[in-house]
Amino acid sequence: MGLLDLFKKQGPSSIRGAAYDDLFDDEFQRKLDYLAIVSRKVFAGRMRAERRTKRSGSGIEFADHRDYNPGDDFRYLDWNVYQRFGRLLVRLYEQEEDVSIYLIVDASRSMGFDFKQKDGRGRPGNGPKIRHAKRLAAALAYIGLSNLDRVSVVSTTNRVADRMPTTRGKQRIHRVFDFLRSVETDGATSLEDALKQFVAQNKRRGLAVLVSDLYDPAGFEKGINVLRYNKFEPFVMHVVDPDDAKPDLSGDVRLLDCETGDEREVTITKAMLERYAKVYEAYLKEIEVFCTLKQVPYFRADVTIPFDDLILRVFRRGGFLR
Amino acid sequence: MHFLGLPFAELVTIFAIAGGAVTALYVLKLRRRPITVPFSKLWARILKDKEATSLFSRLKRIFSLLLQLAMLALLVLALGDPRAAIEIVKGRNLVVLVDTSASMQARDGGPAGKKPRIDEARESLRKIVRGLGASDHMLIASMDAVVTPLTPMTGDTSRLEQALDELRPVDARADFPRALRYAVDTLRGVKRAEIVVLSDGVLGEAKDGLGAIYSNACDEENAPKPAGKFTCVGDARLSFVPVGSGKRNVAITQYSVRRYPLDRSRYEVMIEVQNLGDKDEDIELRLLGDGVLVDLTKLHLKAGEKLPRFYPNLGGASQKLEARINIAPLSPSDPPIYDDLPADDRAYAVLPERRRTKVLAVTDANTYLEAALLLDEYLDVTTMTPDEWRAHGELGKSDVAIYDGVTPPLKPGLPALYLDPKDGGPIKVGPAIKEPGFDTLDRKHPLLRWTAFDNIGITTANKLVPAEGDKIVGASNDGPLLVAGSRAGTKFVALSFDVRQSDLPLRIAWPVFLMNTINWFVEEDADYLSSFKTGEVWHVPVPLGVTSQAVLVDPEGAPHPVPVQEGRAVYLGERAGFYRIKAPPDVTTPSGATPSDVYFAANLVEPRESAIAPEPALAIADEAWMRDPARVAHCKLACASGVDPECMPKCAGHEAGQVKDSGAGVRDEKWMYLLALVAIATVVEWATYHRRITV
Repeated sequence: MGLLDLFKKQGPSSIRGAAYDDLFDDEFQRKLDYLAIVSRKVFAGRMRAERRTKRSGSGIEFADHRDYNPGDDFRYLDWNVYQRFGRLLVRLYEQEEDVSIYLIVDASRSMGFDFKQKDGRGRPGNGPKIRHAKRLAAALAYIGLSNLDRVSVVSTTNRVADRMPTTRGKQRIHRVFDFLRSVETDGATSLEDALKQFVAQNKRRGLAVLVSDLYDPAGFEKGINVLRYNKFEPFVMHVVDPDDAKPDLSGDVRLLDCETGDEREVTITKAMLERYAKVYEAYLKEIEVFCTLKQVPYFRADVTIPFDDLILRVFRRGGFLR
Repeated sequence: MHFLGLPFAELVTIFAIAGGAVTALYVLKLRRRPITVPFSKLWARILKDKEATSLFSRLKRIFSLLLQLAMLALLVLALGDPRAAIEIVKGRNLVVLVDTSASMQARDGGPAGKKPRIDEARESLRKIVRGLGASDHMLIASMDAVVTPLTPMTGDTSRLEQALDELRPVDARADFPRALRYAVDTLRGVKRAEIVVLSDGVLGEAKDGLGAIYSNACDEENAPKPAGKFTCVGDARLSFVPVGSGKRNVAITQYSVRRYPLDRSRYEVMIEVQNLGDKDEDIELRLLGDGVLVDLTKLHLKAGEKLPRFYPNLGGASQKLEARINIAPLSPSDPPIYDDLPADDRAYAVLPERRRTKVLAVTDANTYLEAALLLDEYLDVTTMTPDEWRAHGELGKSDVAIYDGVTPPLKPGLPALYLDPKDGGPIKVGPAIKEPGFDTLDRKHPLLRWTAFDNIGITTANKLVPAEGDKIVGASNDGPLLVAGSRAGTKFVALSFDVRQSDLPLRIAWPVFLMNTINWFVEEDADYLSSFKTGEVWHVPVPLGVTSQAVLVDPEGAPHPVPVQEGRAVYLGERAGFYRIKAPPDVTTPSGATPSDVYFAANLVEPRESAIAPEPALAIADEAWMRDPARVAHCKLACASGVDPECMPKCAGHEAGQVKDSGAGVRDEKWMYLLALVAIATVVEWATYHRRITV
């Protein structure tokens, strides 16, 4: 009997509502186990339990040289280099430490928006993006915990809405589940404000995985830059719903922004929908280009793709765990 | 610009109210459907592009409003029925006389030559109607034996076109003078008046009982002008539309049948056929008695030849006699060939009814009377002496009584001839007259048909004193001698002398007079032996007992109530064929029996109608020219050949012009175009709205 089976029996999920049960059901948990095993096999050698940082420290792996500064430990002077070049250089070693992984889940109203439900036509949609965001976050958290990393989960709107304290160890995954279950979408998006609050609350730097649709009226760049400027290693997991690109609209309508309440009167035509699709594509491209330029790992998480496929793609692409 | 519909002030009011409503509705746009979107900023990027052209967008919206207001304006304008002022001033008034005479039945029109001329006339008239101007008015009248207006003077083209279907050619000639006078009177004093005649043939001289109708040259405004290029009659311009092309026709131009007076089982027929075409024709002439072929004759007729035929001593028919002609086929087995006008290929006649008349003769051995009555084998004569008659009265029922020397009162239902009457009869008897003679005679009276009562020697007679309503048929200078009349519907004839005291029995007039009298009593009138002529007013004897109204059944079997005047039904018939007159259901004879129906026939025997060669022009004589002896002499010389009956009016008159604007066209009524513009604007508005151009 594995941990997940125990969680299944002991956890509160079995007595929760159908929506929550569906979110992290047995099938989901079995896939997490599978992902954890596959990730170890496929990425063996790179995916060890420990994570090396770039910070020089007291590790055993040589990393680099730097000029000697008064006060440095003489033991790390590289005399061979001094003999050959006449320069005093200090050997640097990679410091081995457990890495903090922050899973920042955007819980603004746009993440809970479901176009097919909102237009009242009753056709089955892809579901709200927050559902997929939670699953992705849970999967990443599980893998992180499996690698003995420190994992923390934060939900944000225009502020830090809620946070799960840092935890480690695979057996703590149920805390993650509980936390994610409790996350409700509400409020507007302001990544800059929310992440400023986040960095203020978390002094220990680490990998900050931002799971969001990046629908920030103030601009997604500011939020990502907050992480960059504060020495976090941002990883952008962009949750994308194709329905957002092709809304099933027509005629004279009044558009209401689900977060800000902004209204715009518009007559939807076929040409306009085509223009909107182009604008939407350009917006996605804009985000991708920004991340590429800023060397921020970027991954587009299409809600129509099963989450386990997405996770494997994440690992294949690299950047999440190095 | 004039408005013939709603006045301009009302149009402005309607537009103001409706325009305000349209604008208000336009401003109060439909409430848009609220739709929640996850990120309106993306939409803002699109709308930013649109806002860049917001001025254009506003203009497009204004364009939509203007388009709707324009549609409203056009509709309101259409309500006003706008017309150009010049159209109102120049409206024409036309009276169209369409020939519906027998010749218009000729089938020589159309590509196959089987289309009746009346259809050709309809098509020509339809073009004229459709070419009418906006302010033109027209009256359509059919021209046959009578003139029948089919429409009022109207500009309603649908009503005029509907009248075209009412044009039906009849079996009668066209009374052109009457129709032309009707048209002239209708258009008297009317500006821009025009008479249009659609006809095929010779219409004859425009002269009727009121005198001749003359033409004159006139100018554009129909004002008389000697050198004018138009022809006017009265106040109207005259136009002519010729119809027809063929001229192959052989016609029955005369047809008469009569029984022999003394052998009523046999009869004789006189018929005249004429080839009115320009080629020789071999024809077959059939006589049918009661539908059974009696005689078949083949005849060869040269072009224009007129051939009378006499068929004596025929038998085999009891009532109906019909003559038919057709072009002889090349082979006897081939079907008959008919010429262009079938209407004159048939002629009809009804033989008088052969019925025995019961005559009661009360006489004291008057050999002359008894001998005369023996001449007619269809008389059943019962002779009684006055003593027998006084002792036994009448034995059985009689149709006619002859009282010779006795004067009983007139018995109802038993018409009587009184010879040498005394007082006590239906007529008073005055003093005796010595050796009178018939000084005055009503020679047209049926009693005197085929008789000569002049110079009859009479020894003595009594002067008759006729009552009011009695007819004095013959009289001497001293007083009436022969009187006919009726009492309570029963006829009587009184001859005021004893025929044995005169030389009348020695004359042929005596038995003829007796038979005329008996025939007059029993309504066996030889007048209707020969059929009636279509296009004339008929006076047809009615069944016994009918006094005020009878029912006439035409050849198609349709009943028509007809008035009865002086014992005759009066009817203007225009169809050839066999007719029947029957008594109304509640009428009986004086003896209480149901009256027998009376049959008669009517024929088109009109050579002028049978000459179907179309006349290319219509000419009306000019009064001034006709009064110019030199011109008349010249024209008489020119027309001496007599071939062309229209020669004189052509020589001394003016030819009718062509119809102006007779080409097919569309009435220039603006409201139709306005509605078409509204329809186009609606389509544009619809398309631009749904293409989201004007939203």
